[in-house]
Amino acid sequence: MRTFLTSALLALSGFCCLSVASAGDIRIGLAEALTGPASQYGVPIRNGFLLAQEELNAKGGINGNRIVLVEEDERGKKEEAINVYKKLIYQDKVLMIFGPTLSNSMFAAGPIAEAAHVVAFGTSNTASGITDIGPYVFRSSPMEADVVPVTLKAAIKRLGLHKVGIIYGNDDAFTKSGYDVFRQALEAQHIRVVDTETYSKGDVDFKAQLTKLKAEAPDAIVCPCLAEEGANILIQARALGITVPFIGGNGFNTPKLLENAKTAAEGTIVGSPWFDGNPSPENQRFIAAYRKKFGSDPNQFSAQGYDALFIVAEALRKIHLTGQLAQDRQALRDALPAIQYAGATGRFAFRPAPLHNGKPGGYDADQTPFVYIVKNGKFALLK
Amino acid sequence: MDWSSWWDTYSTLVLSIGVYGMLALSIYLTLSCGLLSLANAAFMGIGAYMSAIATLQFEWPFAFALFLGTVLPAAVAFLIGIPVLRLSGVYLAMATLGFGEVVRVVLLNLDITGGPLGLNGIPPLTTWWHVVLALALTVALLQALRRSRIGRAFEAIREDETAARLMGIATDRIKLLAFVLGAAIAGLAGGLNAHYTFTLSPGNFGFESAVDILTMAVLGGIQGVAGPLLGGAILTLLPELLRGLQEFRMAANGLILIAVVLFMPQGLWDPARFRRWRRSRGTRAEA
Amino acid sequence: MFAQQIVNAISLGSVYALFALGFTLVFGILGVINLSHGGIFMVGAYAALLLLTRFEIPFWAALPLAMLAAGLLGLAIDLLILKQLRKRGAPHLMPMIATIGAAILMTSLSQGLFGSETRRFPLDLFDQESFSWGPVTIPVLQAGITALSVLLMLLMVWVLKRTRIGQALRAVAESPKAASLLGIPVERLFHLTSFVAAALGGAAGILIGLSFDAISPFMGQPMLHKGIAAIILGGLGDVRGAVLGGLFLGAAEVFAVTVLSSEYRDALSFGLLFLVLLWRPQGLFGASATRSA
Repeated sequence: MRTFLTSALLALSGFCCLSVASAGDIRIGLAEALTGPASQYGVPIRNGFLLAQEELNAKGGINGNRIVLVEEDERGKKEEAINVYKKLIYQDKVLMIFGPTLSNSMFAAGPIAEAAHVVAFGTSNTASGITDIGPYVFRSSPMEADVVPVTLKAAIKRLGLHKVGIIYGNDDAFTKSGYDVFRQALEAQHIRVVDTETYSKGDVDFKAQLTKLKAEAPDAIVCPCLAEEGANILIQARALGITVPFIGGNGFNTPKLLENAKTAAEGTIVGSPWFDGNPSPENQRFIAAYRKKFGSDPNQFSAQGYDALFIVAEALRKIHLTGQLAQDRQALRDALPAIQYAGATGRFAFRPAPLHNGKPGGYDADQTPFVYIVKNGKFALLK
Repeated sequence: MDWSSWWDTYSTLVLSIGVYGMLALSIYLTLSCGLLSLANAAFMGIGAYMSAIATLQFEWPFAFALFLGTVLPAAVAFLIGIPVLRLSGVYLAMATLGFGEVVRVVLLNLDITGGPLGLNGIPPLTTWWHVVLALALTVALLQALRRSRIGRAFEAIREDETAARLMGIATDRIKLLAFVLGAAIAGLAGGLNAHYTFTLSPGNFGFESAVDILTMAVLGGIQGVAGPLLGGAILTLLPELLRGLQEFRMAANGLILIAVVLFMPQGLWDPARFRRWRRSRGTRAEA
Repeated sequence: MFAQQIVNAISLGSVYALFALGFTLVFGILGVINLSHGGIFMVGAYAALLLLTRFEIPFWAALPLAMLAAGLLGLAIDLLILKQLRKRGAPHLMPMIATIGAAILMTSLSQGLFGSETRRFPLDLFDQESFSWGPVTIPVLQAGITALSVLLMLLMVWVLKRTRIGQALRAVAESPKAASLLGIPVERLFHLTSFVAAALGGAAGILIGLSFDAISPFMGQPMLHKGIAAIILGGLGDVRGAVLGGLFLGAAEVFAVTVLSSEYRDALSFGLLFLVLLWRPQGLFGASATRSA
């Protein structure tokens, strides 16, 4: 057995030599879920990064140095996220790491980067507490806690809400934390919650919950759901004769929702850091380039990944890389907090996380979300 | 690559090999008694949550936390084992699967477990010698059991439960012992795992993990303690070794499972096959 | 509201029932828990999706073709895996593990081929209308699924009870050895059962893909859990019980949502499974096994 293990581990360590690096390359780790259920987010994120890498390198990279993304699949599992992080930090010797895809994986992998003094940069982690891990943890994805109150305020103004019903997935970290911030925001704005319903991952039939919600006659239904369940919920709600609008979280912000729910999505209000109809030239250029490269529409996750590499590129332009890994990693981490950038997701800056148990945390995204409404089968800005 | 950077890179993988070895041994224990129980992932979860709550929220010493993480699942196993172990075969498998789902749903709905968000920021307390010690103790215990009267009773029950009862073996008690000990080992493994992955969520302990654990034992073989350890090591390393296959990585996993069941029904570690090989090589050498 | 919830219970339950039908059939005749049934269910849905969108075959032709594809897959699993294990007289653990392997293989391959995002059949394919009757709304498709699963169940019961093949199958379910002594072609009946069960599983996948936005490589797993619960509630291997068990599970879940709270729904259904196994392992309905069907 011992010989097997040794040879297996030798084979493992051999993998480092597969990607041959040239002298001026800037190696950046990209740990995303490329297989498994979380890959529906991980793959668009990776695509956004690949596009950004291609564009940056086409323009001569960073002061003439090419950006090389060292890509690893973390399968949306915490142990793999840790293994991948360690491989990227200690073996591939990358300058910093983007990812992992899910918040739970970041909770597992973040401490590894923190201990090694390497920047861990999440582009899709929205759970609260991520940046409590420490000052090397950054994210460009606004927390639900930042997006939801804005969404709700806009919805109240538009719809004149008094009482709402809620439906959310209670076995998923993303939808549960979405629910938590919605509930707080509803309380803060004195909106009564008449009924709260839950479902589990993989459910397709929500009619029992919706029938109960309908009986309470809410003014709107709050649905911090992912788009897969969201489309089913919308369709079934309309079939049951529920006509009130839905208010969604980050998960609703995808062309998939409209594609799958069609007319059932009409009137739905969504808050999100990215808006495909945002007419800014950066965004329109991004959408066109993404379509050309991948033959499909980008979503919020690809836009956030795309912008994140440009944010880091800005920081890299400001520092002088010495070739001393520890020194360069520290220089990058020190340069990042001050970066401001306007990209596909609009204006972006970092905001230091509040102290946690007296210790400084990392950096959250400081970004104004878009609030929009589905009108004639399209997302339109809610004014 | 020098030793320290090798260790920095692969320490978690090495710890996982040990911990999954323990989990495979925990299911080997029940299998060696003829019980197909799929509750070990749930017991692992109970142990992991218990010990993580102990260190994270009460700041109790690690050793005590691990102790609690071993005892609580054993106690739960004792309580449900009494009614459940009356079932056998597929029925037992399904009942323990149902129990696992109930545990998952409970973990999702309790406040102290953090619901679907789970527990984060668990202190990194597990070091290599904790895992080595726990694994050594487990192996020693199982070897001692195998050689004892209890071990022979396990075997008798696996071969023919009715005959074993007629022989005067207290089959109910022996089966309960295997079930409870298996739960304790799985719980300890869970406690160790929680303190080097820093985060727990209920999804870590569902059907998929139950199946993973079973697969490790079957892949390695259940003729002795070496088999489950080998199976645990291979299935922990496999995803790393198959990285090059990208999205078809899991397909290789599935194929390997099928191949082992079809062509090596006793698992990879099969002393009888080794003896056959040695004999055939011996005869060839003579000729 | 209660009238509507009863309709909801029946429509949810009939989805479970349809899935459980093929699942229990394999156990009844082959004595195997086929954990790749969820994978077959998923492949059925993708086969229909491909036929409809890529090859633009009309639905009436795509449904039987996709069922055929699922059925052939089931037959292949039987020939390549289960048959080999039968020949060897392997213990019941082995087919379970091998079919888990097959399920992983199917999930991984379809993820590689189709991607991991959730897809659905073209919406305009079927009328998404529903008809109202007093306070009750019934989606047309749902009514169709319910009718179809009851119909298929009646058909299976009739085949098992009234036909020569059914008689032979019941004999095989009782004891394959005795049946083969009677001159019944046991192996061929095993192949037939695997084919039919998989075709039924494929049909379930197609119908669920029709009424919900639900086609993904991972759709089999949650359904497999519900299927396990349904066939245990109904009694393992009991065809009539599987359908009743599916409907009962649907009713229990809707009841949990309506009367308790939706948070307790999953705990209730799996707790129920657990209790039924302890208290009445032969299932809630009828005596036991296919022979009674």
